[in-house]
Amino acid sequence: MIAITNLSKYYGNISALEDLTLEIGAREVFGLLGPNGAGKTTTIKILTALAFPSRGSARIAGFDVVKERPRLKPLIAVCPQEINLDRELTAFENLWFYGRLFRIPEISPRIMELLAWAQLEQRAHEQVKGFSGGMQRRLLIARALMSRPRVLFLDEPTVGLDPQIRRQLWDMIRQLQADGITILLTTHYIEEAESLCDRVGILNKGRLIALDSPAHLTARVGGYVVESVNGARRSYTLVQDREAAYARAQEEAAGVLIRRANLEDVFIQLTGERLSQ
Amino acid sequence: MTMNWVTIFLKDMLLFQRRLLRLGYVLSTLFAPLLYLLAFGLGLGKSVALRGGVSYLDFLLPGLVAMSSMTNSYTWVANSLNMGRLYYHTFQIYLQTPVSPWEIVVGQTLAGMVRGLFACSVILVLGLVLGSHLLFTPVFILGLLLNGLVFAAFGVVVGLKSKSHEDAATFTNFFIMPMAFFCGTFFPINSLPWWARKLIFLLPLTHTNRLLRSPIWEPETLVSLALLAAAAALGLALSILIIRRYSE
Repeated sequence: MIAITNLSKYYGNISALEDLTLEIGAREVFGLLGPNGAGKTTTIKILTALAFPSRGSARIAGFDVVKERPRLKPLIAVCPQEINLDRELTAFENLWFYGRLFRIPEISPRIMELLAWAQLEQRAHEQVKGFSGGMQRRLLIARALMSRPRVLFLDEPTVGLDPQIRRQLWDMIRQLQADGITILLTTHYIEEAESLCDRVGILNKGRLIALDSPAHLTARVGGYVVESVNGARRSYTLVQDREAAYARAQEEAAGVLIRRANLEDVFIQLTGERLSQ
Repeated sequence: MTMNWVTIFLKDMLLFQRRLLRLGYVLSTLFAPLLYLLAFGLGLGKSVALRGGVSYLDFLLPGLVAMSSMTNSYTWVANSLNMGRLYYHTFQIYLQTPVSPWEIVVGQTLAGMVRGLFACSVILVLGLVLGSHLLFTPVFILGLLLNGLVFAAFGVVVGLKSKSHEDAATFTNFFIMPMAFFCGTFFPINSLPWWARKLIFLLPLTHTNRLLRSPIWEPETLVSLALLAAAAALGLALSILIIRRYSE
């Protein structure tokens, strides 16, 4: 569904994205994981007609993202990181104006269907500026679904939301996957990537440094982590299985925590840095 | 099925209507031209004598109408695009949906023109109440419409090219404000030195003032209409080009 070849983007001498090559299949939920400034949003901007690449190319459903934008745009929808709803318009009006840009027939029933899906039908005719962050995020996703897109881009869809609302949005995203929509999401939340994505691409400083399913990526660095705490110092040891973890733990004099390895450990292993840095 | 520029225009009109209901918004929009009208027209005007026995209020009113149309058309579009692009990110919606660059430009420009026409119609009504005389001819209306079109189109250019809100304000200070004062709004440009008159001839507001003050068909009218139309075409073409090349 999405084919990216040697995609690069430079801002002056600064490289925001360097030779990104990957393919994303239809109905797949693909996550781009990385710290701030890794190139995740730049990738989405290029794929969704907001930026021109400096080099390389990308195709979505066979259409070139630069040369065939008019044919591409009806197939895609974007939930940007910033909540770009019109705050002075109501929820209904936001969806109505957006839907008209796609020339959607029978627009009002579609709006009410999506507002019900986002659990906002009771607030349909209230101005968005009175909505909570979670409600605005749900409305943003509902707006993106107005045109029944084949590919949905979610740029940091749960950033800044409390854990309960985040899980609500995860359920919504799983539902979209079940409906057959291809989803490319960016996140720097480990749990989000592990919980939602079929495959993950880890970006660091504009480069793709790993690409696989979350399970395979974590298995590659070892299935378990032994964290030993000595005062303010923490050290991490990656081991292959539970038995090896217990054996390692017995060697430690200080407090020890044994846990399953996650994508953050993969990132640390590959870069020597934490994702949140 | 409706064209997308209609949707963009309607959305801006709905936002405009919502803001109109706020008293502070209306007052801040109309405060400066009303102040000029009252201070210069009624205050200073009594001690100013113009050639041909024209009252200063009759001279000033078309100038203020042109100025209000310019500042409001330009400011609405430049601010809405600048803020929408840099702070609210609502402009990006148009780029990521099936909307052509020309549709964005037409929708935004028409919204700016309506905003300009609203502001200058309030000034017109007040001026007429104060006893000013104006000739509402087709030339007057055409001049006013072209003026709104020119400055709304340049509002699109500034709104899209400025890197910050301060950037847009700088353009206002160095381009819009001098035009308001030197293109014949408050005094006849004949009193300026020849080189200044040559320079001012190139500025669009000069021609709007000429059309609104002498709204009859004569050779000079055609020159002014043609120059305004050329400025509008330039502004629209530049706006479309900027959107086509837009990249973050």
